[in-house]
Formats: sequence, structure tokens, C-alpha cells
Amino acid sequence: METKITKLLGIKYPIIQGGMAWVAEYHLAAAVSNAGGLGIIGAASAPAEIVREQIRKTKELTDKPFGVNVMLMNPNAEEVAKVVIEEGVKVVTTGAGNPAKFMGAWKEAGVKVIPVVASVAMAKLMERAGADAVVAEGTESGGHIGSATTMTLVPQVVDAVNIPVIAAGGIADGRGFAAAMMLGAEAVQMGTRFVVAKESIVHANYKEQVIKAKDIDSVITGTSTGHPVRQIRNKMTKEYLRLEKEGASLEDLEYLTLGALRKAVIDGDVVNGTLMAGQIAGLIDKEMTCQEMIEEIMTQAKELLNK
Amino acid sequence: MLERIAEIIKEQLNVGDVEITAETKFKEDLEADSLDLFELVMALEEEYDVEIDSSDLEKITTVGAVMDYLKDKGVEA
Repeated sequence: METKITKLLGIKYPIIQGGMAWVAEYHLAAAVSNAGGLGIIGAASAPAEIVREQIRKTKELTDKPFGVNVMLMNPNAEEVAKVVIEEGVKVVTTGAGNPAKFMGAWKEAGVKVIPVVASVAMAKLMERAGADAVVAEGTESGGHIGSATTMTLVPQVVDAVNIPVIAAGGIADGRGFAAAMMLGAEAVQMGTRFVVAKESIVHANYKEQVIKAKDIDSVITGTSTGHPVRQIRNKMTKEYLRLEKEGASLEDLEYLTLGALRKAVIDGDVVNGTLMAGQIAGLIDKEMTCQEMIEEIMTQAKELLNK
Repeated sequence: MLERIAEIIKEQLNVGDVEITAETKFKEDLEADSLDLFELVMALEEEYDVEIDSSDLEKITTVGAVMDYLKDKGVEA
């Protein structure tokens, strides 16, 4: 399937993998790229040299294009931004902030820059700052989220900008893909579905929680801190939400979540860890390879779009 | 200028009838998040017919900084 995004990025299918912290490492990124989508390494809060290593390992596993997600709240963001250029990465997506200050250097190096946006105003300003495309991410997504839904945000962003729009949040199968195309998107970004990919290094306990999750099993923590996070409810979120309701300090809340994502993804502690996942987790019922997932989604979507 | 900017801020950030001075901080005092600031930028651009560079956003943390920024861009006080 050819769209503005497949042409822009030189990929076979308009499916991009989300830059999930801890989850989006080189095995997953390479597998998604090898399957014809765009794999992404989630730099999250990793030191720049770790990101460099991840990029090099991805290159060993694939000769297809892949990207790096730069989390702008990361104190190392500046160094990571440089490493991306030095290693010749072709695509950068950005999250948790405003990438404008890195835009010049990236554009000069020929890097395609795709900020993740959660509002029309942000999309417009990113277009003006030189973005090649934007990911319009709805509140259905897992992890850090905005408040507009994918259904409402995507068409409004599509109308507001002239660059291609990638839809994200709540998409996990061919129906979601086709719907996103109908809203005017040129590609989709998926996170939660890839968490349970066979190639994903996420702990089996975490994958099991995503597979078992039902439609209403996610909650939003951290609304009071200004950085809301969607995750599957467990003992930790119960405690967090209780503290939040009682007006606990930012320090107390942060103490509870310190290292909690690593605990869940790597150690498989699904009781005290942070199980970031989107609302679409309820639809996801088994582990598959990235190739199988992408082929299945594209077959179903093509059928629907040709109806 | 302060009076008009305060009106725009109140409207964009839905903060109700709070006192807004040059020292008012967007994040700490008005609890504005990054998306709120993008909304504010769009509104200020429209009002004053200027272009606010996204990379300048991190410098604009107070209402006074907005006024200085606009003055630098040639907006009459």
C-alpha cells in the first residue's frame, strides 16, 4: 500500500511502531522494519551511549529504515539528538514536549522529523517549525497521553495542516487501520499490539496482562501532576489513585512510580510495576510475530477499504 | 498590554478571575501544561499579528516574558 508516509519514509506498509520506553528496543524495532513497517527505538530516559548501542544493534538486524523516538523531557535529550545524527538515523519521532530547538540540526542532517502531537495548535506549530509529518495521538493510547480522542483529533489535525498525519491511539487491527485512513491519516502508529509481539523482549507476565486485559481495564494516573499516564490497573495504580485523591505530594507519587515501568517490563512484576497499555488491549488476544501482525492488519484493511 | 494579555490568558487557559501580573508564571501559578502554551501562542499570534517561534517557547515562562518578547517583535506596548 502506497501513501504519503510510505513514500516519505521509504517503507512498504504505513504502519509505525510506537517509541515505548523500555519496550521499544532493538529486537522489536528491527522486527517491525523487517516486516515492512517502521520500527522505532524508544530512547526514553536512556543515556545517549545506550541509544547509540541500540541503533547499531538495530542496523545489524535490518537494512530497512527505522527511527528513534526522542523523549524531550529526558535531561539527555540534547545528546541523544546528536547521537541520532551521528549514527545516520533517518527518522525521528518526538514525545513529551516541544522539539523545535532540535529541528534545525535534524533537518540539516536530512533526518525526517515527526513530532507526536495531542492538539491542533501543537500540530500547526510543529508544521511551521519544519516537521515532515505529525503523529496525532489520541487519549486511547497507553503511556503518556493527551485528552482528545483519536476519532476527534485525527480529522481536526488533518484539516489544520498540509503535512501527512499518522493516527495513533486505539488502533490494533485492520478495522482500526481502515478507520484511520477514513479520517484522513496517511499511516497509523501502534504501540500496545507490538508489546505482545513474539520479538518483543517484554516479560511474559506483562504480555499476559495485556492479553488478558478487557476493554475497561485501563486507568489514568497522574492527572494531578500534569503528566497523565494510561496503564492497566493493578495494586500500584490503586494505591497511586488513592494517594492522588488524598492530595499526596508529587514526591510521594513519584516515589511510587520510580523504576516501576522497568519493574514490569523487565522483571515481570505486574503487581507493583507500571503496565502501560492502551484501551485497545482488550482486543489483543495473542502473541504473534511482527510479520504476522502486519500482514494480518494489511489484509483486513485492504478488504475493508476496497468494499 | 498587560490587561489585554491577561484577558487572552484567562480565556485560553480557563483560569477564571485570577490576578495576573508580569510576574505570573504559566506553569507554577496557572498550572498550564505544554498543550495550553501552544493554545496561548496561537491566540497571541492572532491578536498581535506576529510569529512566535516554537523554539522560543521555553524562554517564555512568565507573563512579563511574553510582553518583552512581543515588544522585541515590534509590538507597541
